[in-house]
This record gives sequence, C-alpha cells and structure tokens, in this order.
Amino acid sequence: MTPGSMSREVPLFRPLTSWRPKLILGSLLAGAVAALLFYSWGYQIRNDIGVTGLNRPVFWGFYITNFVFWIGISHAGTLISAILRVTSAEWRRPVTRCAEAITVFALSIGGLFPLIHLGRPWLFWFMIPLPNYRGLWPNFRSPLVWDMMAIGTYLTGSILYLLLPMLPDLAILRDRHIADNPNSARARIYRFLALGWRGTAQQWHSLESGIRALAVIIIPVAVSVHTIVSWDFSMTRQPMWHSTIFGPYFVVGAIYSGIAVLMVAMYLLRRGMGLESYLNDKIFNNLGLLFLTFTLIWSYFTFAEHLTVWYGNEPSEMAVFTERISGQYAWIFWAMILLNVALPMLVLSFPLGRKPFFTAIVGVGVLIGMWIERFLIVVGTLSLPRLDFTVGTYQPSWTELGILVGSFGLFVLLYLIFIQIAPIVSIWEVREGEHHLGQVRPASEHPTVETT
Amino acid sequence: MTRWGMVIDTDRCTGCGACVVACHAENNIQTVGEEEAKNGRAMHWLRIERHYEGEFPDIQVRFLPVLCQQCGSAPCEPVCPVYATYRTPEGLNAMVYSRCIGTRYCANNCPYTVRFFNWHAGEWPEPLDRQLNPDVSVRPAGVMEKCTFCVQRIQEGQDRAKDESRQVTDGDIKTACSQSCPARAITFGDLENSESRVAQMAKSARASHLLEDLGTDPSVIYLQGGEEH
Amino acid sequence: MQRNEKTWLHAVFESPIDAQGALQKLTEYGFDSNDIEVRSSIPLEGLYPPDLHVRSHVPLMAVLGGIVGGICAFMLTSLTSQAYPMETGGMPIVPLPTTGVITFEGIAIGAILTTVATVLYECGLPFFRMKSGPLDHYLAEGQIIIAAFMRADEYSDWTSKAVATKRQGPHQAEHTP
Repeated sequence: MTPGSMSREVPLFRPLTSWRPKLILGSLLAGAVAALLFYSWGYQIRNDIGVTGLNRPVFWGFYITNFVFWIGISHAGTLISAILRVTSAEWRRPVTRCAEAITVFALSIGGLFPLIHLGRPWLFWFMIPLPNYRGLWPNFRSPLVWDMMAIGTYLTGSILYLLLPMLPDLAILRDRHIADNPNSARARIYRFLALGWRGTAQQWHSLESGIRALAVIIIPVAVSVHTIVSWDFSMTRQPMWHSTIFGPYFVVGAIYSGIAVLMVAMYLLRRGMGLESYLNDKIFNNLGLLFLTFTLIWSYFTFAEHLTVWYGNEPSEMAVFTERISGQYAWIFWAMILLNVALPMLVLSFPLGRKPFFTAIVGVGVLIGMWIERFLIVVGTLSLPRLDFTVGTYQPSWTELGILVGSFGLFVLLYLIFIQIAPIVSIWEVREGEHHLGQVRPASEHPTVETT
Repeated sequence: MTRWGMVIDTDRCTGCGACVVACHAENNIQTVGEEEAKNGRAMHWLRIERHYEGEFPDIQVRFLPVLCQQCGSAPCEPVCPVYATYRTPEGLNAMVYSRCIGTRYCANNCPYTVRFFNWHAGEWPEPLDRQLNPDVSVRPAGVMEKCTFCVQRIQEGQDRAKDESRQVTDGDIKTACSQSCPARAITFGDLENSESRVAQMAKSARASHLLEDLGTDPSVIYLQGGEEH
Repeated sequence: MQRNEKTWLHAVFESPIDAQGALQKLTEYGFDSNDIEVRSSIPLEGLYPPDLHVRSHVPLMAVLGGIVGGICAFMLTSLTSQAYPMETGGMPIVPLPTTGVITFEGIAIGAILTTVATVLYECGLPFFRMKSGPLDHYLAEGQIIIAAFMRADEYSDWTSKAVATKRQGPHQAEHTP
C-alpha cells in the first residue's frame, strides 16, 4: 500500500464513516418517487386492475414492458463481474461492485412486475410449488413458471455473488470503525456483517474459489434468465412473437441495456463521489468499446428479425410489421433506431465519444431505446391479433405511468442506501490489482510489533 | 367418449345477435358500460363478426359468430401457470375461475381472441341481480372467462339423463346460443356420436374450421360456401 | 508479564516480502501452522506456513450440489405433474423440453447454494465471537499481520531472533483465533 493509494481510497470511505447530507437528501427524494410506485400499486389493488389502460386484445402493456426492461438491465453486473472475472480482465476491478449492485436491485424491481400485473395478486402464491391440501401444483409447462424459477435462481445467485466478495471489504470497515470508535453503531453493524472474516490464507483461498465458481455458474444462469423471459413471447403463436431468434436477441438486448445503465451509474458515481481515479477514462473507453460492440450485435439481430418477417410476407405478421414501420408505432420505432443504432455508432466510434460524459448520454438514449423496443414487441403484436375484427389500441393510465416512474425512484433509492452501507468500489480487489502490478513497498526495516 | 362440438351455418346466420344476448343472459356476463366498451373491454363470449365481400353494388355481408373454439390442441392451456384452464375428458376447454390469478397469458395465446378478462367486477344493481342465472358463478375482478359451451346446461342434461336412467340423446342439451337462434344456424351436440346432427353436418362439403392451418383442432365447425344469400 | 502465560505476538508488515521473511524465520524456529496465523486484506499467494494445507473443495461441492439440485428439480416437475395430471394443449403430461428448463435452473441453484455453503464452512464463518486484535486497523490499511502463538519460555528467544526490532508495550489478553 503506497501512501498515494491510501489517499486515493479516501472518497470511498467517506460515505461509510459519516452521514453525508447530499446522500441523505438524495435518498429521501428517491424515496418520494418510489412511494409513487407503491401508492399507484395500492390504488390498483384497491380499485381492480381495470384502472390500467389494458384492454382486449392488448392484455399486456406497460407492466410487462417494464418487467422485461428491468430484468434486462440486471445483466450489467453479470457481464462485467462474471465474464470479465472469468477472462481475467484486470480493468474490471473498480467496476465489479457497482455493476453487481445494479444487478441485484434491477432484478428485485423487475421481479415486482409479475406481481403488479396480476389480476388477483394476492393469489400469486399459486405459482409457487408448495405442498397444499388441494394437491395442485403449478404448471411447469408454462413459461411463466420457468420465469419464476429462473428469476428466483438468478436473484439468489446475484445476491450471493454480491455479498460474498463484499466480506473482506466489510471486514476492512469493521477494523477501521473498531479502531476509531469501538462502541459506535457502525462498528457493531460491520462487526456483524463481516461475519468474523479474518483474512487468513485458508479463508482467501476458499473465498476466491467460491467467487470463481459463482462467476462460472452465474453466466449460464443469466443467459437462461433472459432467454426464458423472451420465451414468454416466443412460446405463443402471435405474429412477430413466435420467433426462434428471441432467445439470443433478448439476451443481447439485455446486456446492451445493462451496459447502458452501468455507464450512466458509473458517470454519476464518478461525478458525485469523486471517484475519477477509479472510474477513469481508460475504463470508460474499454466499456465504451464493449458498448459499441453490443450496438452492432443488437442492430444485427434487429435487422435479421425484421428482414425475416418482411421477406416472409405472412399476412398477420405483415400487419404488425407495417404498423411498426410506417403505421401508428412508426414514430417510436424510428426513435428507437435512432437511439439504439445511429447515435451509439456515431458517438462511440470515436475516442472522444467514449469519454465518460458522452457514453453516459448514449447510455440514457439506449435505455430509452431499449424500453421502446420492449414496448413495441409487447403492444405492437397484441394490438393486431390474427382475427382482425378484434384489433385494438392501448393508452397507459396514470397508475401505469406512476409505477414506471416510481420504479426508477425505487432503484435509485436502493442504490443510494447501498452506497451508504458498502464501498461502491471493491477495495480489496483494487488493492489486489495494484499488488499484481507491483505497486508494493519494498522490504522495510521497521515493522510494528505488538504482543497480546 | 364424448366430444362436445358445435356447427355454425354461416349461410343461415342473419346477424340478428339473439345468440349474443342469450349468452349474456345465461352466463351472467357483465355489461361493461359505454366508456369501457370504447376502450375495448366489452365482454361478448360470442360475438358476431361482420365481413363484407365484393364491391358496391354487389356487396355481400357475411356474419360469423365467433366463440371459444374449445380446441383439441388449445394454445391457451399450456401457458397458464396455475392450471386454471385445461382440457376436460369430454373435450371442453375448462376455465376454473377460482384458480385464475389473472396473468392473462392464455388470452395472449388465443389466436381467435375469444378470451375475456374481468377488468372490474360486474355490477348488477337492484333489481337486475334477479336476472342472474343461479347455475353460473359470477366472476370477481381479475379473472379470465370465456364461452364454456354452457357447461352448466351440459351438466344439467347429463344429471337429468342419469336420473331417468338413460343416455343423453342428441338434442337434449342445447347451449343458450343454439337454443335462441331464430334461423337455427347453430347446432350443438356430441361430435363423437356418429348419429348426432353435428357429426353429420360436420361431414358436409361446406364444413371448415376457423384458422385451420394453426392446427388447434377446434370443436366448432363452420359451414359456408353455399349459394349466395 | 508472567512467564508461564500463553500469549500471541502480533507483528505488522507493510510488504509481503517482509512478511515472507518473518514466516521463514518463524518456521526455522519450530513454529508450525497451529501457532502461526497470517492475515492480510488482499489474497497473497503462498503467504502461509509451509505445513498448512490450504485447499478448497468448492469445485467438487459445486458439481455435487448441481447434481442434487438438478435431480430435485426434475423430480419436482415430473412427479407433481403426474400426481394430478391435467391435459393442456395436447402436450404430454411431462414434456422433456420444459422439464429440461426447470432442471437446468435446479442445477444452477443447487450449485450456487452449495458453493456458498462450502465457502462459509471452509472459512469458519459466521464467527460472531471473533475478537479484534490490537493492530487490526493496520490490516484495514492494507498491511499484513502475522500472529505467533508463543509458549512463555520461548518469549525471550523469539524477540531476539524475529525480524521485529521494535516492540510496543505488551498487553495481557487471551486470544484464540
């Protein structure tokens, strides 16, 4: 540990050693916005799901769009943390924890939406395989039950994958707080949270083994989760849903939107917490290149999907296609192309465009674009069923808008709370990276000795 | 084995809508009101689709009553996460209201758009509640519903036959729509019983299924293509 | 301090090279892995007494956990579907592709939970009764602590032969890791 790196760590410890008024204020504001979600949801439960703008044939609307959107965002952490760990990419070190935190919170929020969109949400437990006196079990042939299993597995895995590498950092915080003020609430909390981690060789070996194993396991889980979410659509017979490409398409889209959120989060953390030395330009450049790669992959899949439909010229699919390209959904379709294809390619292709501010702007654009993509898939198809006598439209109501806005508030709230509990950059991993780079003190003459 | 089926002769159908009204009355279907109907939430388990053929002045109108096809290979069934809809041994696509949690996935997978959702609970202010059929449950909000081939009448017909120690004969059980059609365009019966009228009409050269190429194996046969009407 | 009390000597090292040297000296003087504890705030390869067997069974346990999880998930889907068979859409009661999806997730959750349980077990966590040592804040700053358990008669030997050249005032405390 060089003296320079010690002072580098100061901004990381700041929110964890004392109350920061700006963070408190931010949390309260986010909490107010999150309250909108719960108020709208409560209103909806009280007054039936009919308060939404859903109808026949558009039985799914904003809520399923949001569901796919938030689950998609959750792929940020897995990509950065797991794939970069498995490939031993050293530049991942400052980014892993903020990415994993995004995953956990996005998954939790995404997992709320299947409950929100139910007609009778208090009976959601019918979907859980619990022994019951009726002898009835859930229908494991239904993609919604696969969703539940997959998201449950992924959420458990992500939470553990976030918490396990956090143990050494919590121990660092414990040791600092015990040294500064042994009886403070923070010292007691961290002593509990660190679970007694001592940092012995055996513990490190087990921990690293475990993290590596989790990283390897969680990658196929993440791929399967968004594939299964996409199968909610492709297992049906609806025009432009029944597509074999949806599995990989959605996974790519998920990682794409995950990187977008990560860029925005990293930019805000960098600015708000003074973490320029950790979340530096080199990382933004590397992630920007990854971002650009996914722009290209996503564009490829989108083109393939639309080309197949257009070339096949099947009437019920062409009805949906035409409505999307040149009909009532045309303006948001082309906005999506602009935000997801044109803007990222124009900006991210140049080194200047991969500076933090610009990648964050592109990230916001991609987030909007990916939300539009999900909306087009859900509502675009449902509004044009095969028997065209029953064509419909969809207008969201205030509850749906409120829940959408509230979900962002909830995400920010959870993230801000997290920042005040654990270091948003993984301290031990960054120190380990410095150690690997040889930034260590040479042998000294005066080590400290104590006897107890 | 019984397989309940229906034959609808579109050459006979006049589009009067008596079947729609009878269905509402028999099955306690709510009337959602003007606002909700404008938003696409009308609940007509049986609807009359109106298709124009030809150009003025040689326009023909064809009326197509569309109801749940009680598919043999129903796409709506496997996607329900809680088994609220499944195929009964007698060939009906059952809808279990008390099990439905309202995911609406079944409605999304129905190619005929014949499933309906209770966005709000139905209201029958006094004295309209006296018109409710006691044999049919009133569905709460948040539950899917659709044509059941008047399963309560099937049940009642089978019970009566058992009481009288005989088999159910063809024509014993009439669904509300088949009973009320003045043009006798709708016939209901057992498709597996080779002597029933539906089984014989199904063999007609005019017989076809709706969206045949999807392979849903519907129990509703449409007769069309006769001389101009 | 009394000579026949058992005590732990904690030494803080800023560099792994120093720590390695101290370890070597300790091993030369007959300390074995039961009497030495090396703690660091980052994983350091090879920085532990030579007779300590540092190993982890995580990979094996993960595979076993995956197998168990997969079998449980397979049994869950196939047995429950057959317990109350309901025909849906002409599909078989236990279709292999859909069962495969659930089994896959079962393998994953089994592997994940077993991995975490194994890690916690091998690390001896949770260990809420851990007492913090007097020099632990150096650990937080990234330095390395080596603690050596001394029997009282070796005390004077050690102080002259160990790398440590500066000694703070000793405290009295019972300490078992």
